[in-house]
Amino acid sequence: MAKVIANATNKGGEGKTTMSIMLAEYAALIMNKRVLAIDLDPQANFSKYYINIEYDTAYKGGKIPPIHPEYDPNVDMGWDGRSSIANIFYGEEVFPYKTNFDLIDILPSHSHRLQEAEAVTKDEVLKKVHLRLKEFLDIPELQDSYDVVIIDTPPSKGPLTIAGIKACTDIVIPSQMEEDSVDGIYGMLQLWKQETYSRPADNPIKIAGILANRVRNVSLHKSLYDQLKSLESTKDLVLNEIIKERVIYGELRVKEDRPKSVFDLPASHPARKECEAVCSTIMKRIYENG
Amino acid sequence: MAKSFKIKQTLANALDDTVSSAKNNAGELHVEIIPLRKISLDPDNPRDLILNFNDLQQGIKADTAELTVRKTREKDSLASIAKSIAAKGVIQPITVYKNADQYILVTGERRTLGSILANKVDIPARILTAKPNELDLSLLQWIENIEREDLSLWERLRNLDKIVGAYAKTNNKDVNTVTASEITKLLGCSPQQASNYHAILNTSDDIREYIKTGDLKNIEKIAVIFKAPASMRDALIKAAIDGQTLAQLKKLVKEAEASLKNRTIPKESKAGRPTNKINFGATTNRKIAGLFLRAILEHEDLKKYQETIGKIDWDDAKAIGNSFRILTKLVEQDISN
Repeated sequence: MAKVIANATNKGGEGKTTMSIMLAEYAALIMNKRVLAIDLDPQANFSKYYINIEYDTAYKGGKIPPIHPEYDPNVDMGWDGRSSIANIFYGEEVFPYKTNFDLIDILPSHSHRLQEAEAVTKDEVLKKVHLRLKEFLDIPELQDSYDVVIIDTPPSKGPLTIAGIKACTDIVIPSQMEEDSVDGIYGMLQLWKQETYSRPADNPIKIAGILANRVRNVSLHKSLYDQLKSLESTKDLVLNEIIKERVIYGELRVKEDRPKSVFDLPASHPARKECEAVCSTIMKRIYENG
Repeated sequence: MAKSFKIKQTLANALDDTVSSAKNNAGELHVEIIPLRKISLDPDNPRDLILNFNDLQQGIKADTAELTVRKTREKDSLASIAKSIAAKGVIQPITVYKNADQYILVTGERRTLGSILANKVDIPARILTAKPNELDLSLLQWIENIEREDLSLWERLRNLDKIVGAYAKTNNKDVNTVTASEITKLLGCSPQQASNYHAILNTSDDIREYIKTGDLKNIEKIAVIFKAPASMRDALIKAAIDGQTLAQLKKLVKEAEASLKNRTIPKESKAGRPTNKINFGATTNRKIAGLFLRAILEHEDLKKYQETIGKIDWDDAKAIGNSFRILTKLVEQDISN
């Protein structure tokens, strides 16, 4: 079975997309795994990093996937040529997009279709949203095509995030060492707890790690981190490795024509070193328990 | 000096609760869809249904006409749940545990039978990894049943018997010594309710029989009878069976207790000479005096005085009193001789 890793926290700006990119590239470039990237966040930042997302003028602020390179209007009747992960919530087929990385495909976000998918009644949400991604990822053809699935989720505890949680084998919770961020960890652990209750014993949802992100050399960050590392409940969940606040991470996200991975940096680069350390630990935790 | 920042204790506690409850309850709410044909009924279920799967699949079979009637009645009572299952499916999963290739039913007998009636082939179920221990099993069935309105008091009492029995066994104590406050903790019910449960658990066999026959249905009324003075018991049981309300029963007890309290029992005088003389007491009721005198004169040792005293006018208070005095003198003389 493919490993399905969800990067989730209900608070925005903690590093979900950064983690998603980092893990996808670590799995593909360092581990040589076939990766499917899935962007459940209507903000479409994960998608935008890998393919040329279009701005949908019909919907304010909306972003939509580009026309699929393999789309042929003469053959593909009844399809507008755009394929996003939102399709699965409408019972439609999906066609992953190639990226500039050989081993990474992506099912991009579609802002307003994802938002609309969430707008179902409470009675329908379980069947129409919560379980859909899990059903989709269980398709044998998909399992045969990919070794690792990386899911980026929206900054909420809404139906799309829950769909990601229900579909994943492992969850990564990135968090800054700030007061409200630590509250976000608690929020995510609540979701994890609920999901733990309902998982069968042979398919548990594991916490691959709570990652301290954007850490600066300040007392607030250090003391919150030390406390999380000392609390009985969180000490084993919080990773020993951290990601520091660095300008390079912002710069890596800005690209002209092709993305440059943090793993393309020289081996001695501190950013690459810390990313490798974090990803290596996360992957070890994911793979060591079967 | 460097500033120090702390995670609030409330948040630390909440994190701790969350992680430990996730670890302790993993898989507890997991629901699978299982085939109905693989489910076996639990022979220890405290409910009283005698209807089984075969009765629904192949028509009711019973040894006596009486049993056939009962099974038919039970089948009819499942009609409405079957109808709702046919329309909406089973909403609340049943609970089973796995035993070889079968699933043994822990909770959800009516949902299971209703699904068969509705011609379903499978049912959502929570699957426990092992047979729950006696106490857990009883508690699960209790929790499942407590909300049900169609459960009779007898069925609830049997359920209670099982839970408290299992609890007593687990804790190495006698069933009779389980207190109401232990029942509160065990069932998570109010102290008032636990006190009622405690009462019906410890009630006498005749009251149990009335509960079984359905003559006594109200747990509060039974608790009132249980706590009332023994002398009132029979009258209260009768009143309850006759349909007196709870308030009426309580009033009866209150009145009886009040009259008991008003009765003055003379205290022995502590001052003065020690009392040698015994007063038999007094009454204005000739019937009571007559009753006592007749009873005394029937006594093996005192029969012989009947002749001496002669015929008594039982309507004459003075005559009865005189006869008492004569009898006392005669016995005093004979004993001192």
